[in-house]
Amino acid sequence: MNRSGARHEILAHTADVGLRVEAPELRSLFSEAAAALAELAADVPAGARELPPERVELEAPDLVGLAYEWLNELIGLADVRRAALAGAQVERLEQVPPPSDPGDEATWTWCLDGTIRLARFEDGDVRPRVGVKSATYHDLRVEPSEGGWTLTAYLDV
Amino acid sequence: MARAAHGSRAPAVSSGVGARAAPSAGPPLQIERIDPYRWRIARDERRGMRVEGIVYADDRLMCTLRDDPALQQVANVATLPGIVGASLAMPDVHWGYGFPVGGVAATELEGGVVSPGGIGFDINCGVRIIRSDLVVEEIRAVLPRLADALFAAVPSGVGARAGHRLRRDELDEVLRDGSRWAVSRGLGWADDLERTEEHGRLAGADPSAVSARAHERGADQLGTLGSGNHFLEIEVVDEIGDAVAAEAFGLRLGQVVVSIHCGSRGLGHQVCTDHVAVMDRTMGRSGIHVPDRQLACAPLGSAEARAYLGAMAAASNFAWANRQLIAHHVRGVFERVLGRSAEQLGMRLVYDLSHNIAKLERHQVSGRAVDVCVHRKGATRAFPAGHPDVPEVYRSIGQPVFVPGDMGRYSYVAVGAPGAMEQTFGSTCHGAGRNLSRHAALRELRGVSIADQLERAGILVRAERYDLLAEEASLAYKDVATVIEVAEGAGLVRRVARLRPLAVVKG
Repeated sequence: MNRSGARHEILAHTADVGLRVEAPELRSLFSEAAAALAELAADVPAGARELPPERVELEAPDLVGLAYEWLNELIGLADVRRAALAGAQVERLEQVPPPSDPGDEATWTWCLDGTIRLARFEDGDVRPRVGVKSATYHDLRVEPSEGGWTLTAYLDV
Repeated sequence: MARAAHGSRAPAVSSGVGARAAPSAGPPLQIERIDPYRWRIARDERRGMRVEGIVYADDRLMCTLRDDPALQQVANVATLPGIVGASLAMPDVHWGYGFPVGGVAATELEGGVVSPGGIGFDINCGVRIIRSDLVVEEIRAVLPRLADALFAAVPSGVGARAGHRLRRDELDEVLRDGSRWAVSRGLGWADDLERTEEHGRLAGADPSAVSARAHERGADQLGTLGSGNHFLEIEVVDEIGDAVAAEAFGLRLGQVVVSIHCGSRGLGHQVCTDHVAVMDRTMGRSGIHVPDRQLACAPLGSAEARAYLGAMAAASNFAWANRQLIAHHVRGVFERVLGRSAEQLGMRLVYDLSHNIAKLERHQVSGRAVDVCVHRKGATRAFPAGHPDVPEVYRSIGQPVFVPGDMGRYSYVAVGAPGAMEQTFGSTCHGAGRNLSRHAALRELRGVSIADQLERAGILVRAERYDLLAEEASLAYKDVATVIEVAEGAGLVRRVARLRPLAVVKG
């Protein structure tokens, strides 16, 4: 468990792998999901030299869709930068009404702003571990739980 | 609930979905035995099933499947609009995401859908085998040099990069032309195209439907193996089953062959990721509801389906070009180490096939010819003798089928049989199928050096991460001999030859 009260575990899957993340609120839940993915995908020792942090802004019609977008952004960006995911911080995660019809909550969009940290494989002991192809929608869940929120995801590896 | 078993006195069994179950799985499924190699999930077993589920397994395989969420996934696939025949599970079926790995589903072009999850993230992951005129005694002394040179020549592992980064226009040529792109640049033989599924180029590729990020991920990954269960193996033919087919494929006892297993790398992964997201957002508009969002789909003929199929064809062509380039590197390594040309060594391609792809094909369904979109997710085409899509050189024999096992035991070469056309839309298994999760394998084999263990068995291994080899150890996989026995028993294929690994390059 980290200082924000968030924690994660790796779930078994016959061919692939899963993550279960718990946190007191949604921002730390999504940040912790990034920590879980980072731990799974690569060995990044403390003090590893990082690339300049990258800002991302994502949106989706629901929380599960936002989790799909977030996890896949982390996977895709690390691959494009030829780097290991070192972690990420979610600064904003909220539901935003459309300007046209703010009355119907079903039409509101979930938005996320975050900062992603990457470490180059060429530097020191940064080593890839599991090649994660994608986060999947299979049994992807973001739901309230005792003491906060739980995110469950299965990844294709 | 017990069902009358058809063709067997065996009682219905419960899948007993337990610890490994996806929480949304629902109550245990009832599955009834049809015959020694087939089991049925009745159409009324789950709400929304449009067809029944058929699982290819014998009693041994069914024992391992009873606790596997794959059976629930077979039932979920049966709910797809336009699915015809049955939701099929090949003998190597295991828990996937949306579709099971080893799943086959055909959807009618009229009223049916395409589901990117039914093809998978590694679009056109596949296998090719290169034969040679070498016998094992000729390479025994140089085997370590061959293994080292292959490991050096073919970038492998997570995020493996090629030496050359393709420009956008070059990459788009690859996406349009597949293996032809490589062969036209001298990176292969013209004969390779004749012996590749679709001649190494799927028609209808649309690079504009491939996102900028997918382009970026693929730009420097052409000619790379990747990680996970992908491999490059030097093998020896140690058993011949069907001598006539073996001769037609150019295989004989004691001969050295090379197998290549990989796919479309980050480019293909991104194509699937992007198009699943699009269909997840749009399928509600078409009134489609699926029991697992990873089954997100679009009506065939819709703009979303056309875009996906164009991008899928492009990623498939990338995968064929990828395996073509790796084959070129393999030939180069053998030439350098053995001091003879690849032609002199007889290093001809036996065949290259896909096991994650959707194809528009015509099949007989309930006595009528139907145009369908066949989804093969971890499943291989297995067309029999006489089919026009079997390369002319093999048409009187049938299409070669490759069924890799694990790196410590053996793999099989088989040939498509008529039963595949009658039962499975011309499909069969693609491998052994996993038995243990990666975590469980690492836990079981903690402290064991898999590389040492294999070396003692006469198998050399070269890998980026030796500490993670346990994830791919024999223990983690079913015995592929059991899997091929079921495929053969059910009439989907005939065994042609068995291959034993001599040297393995892992990502």
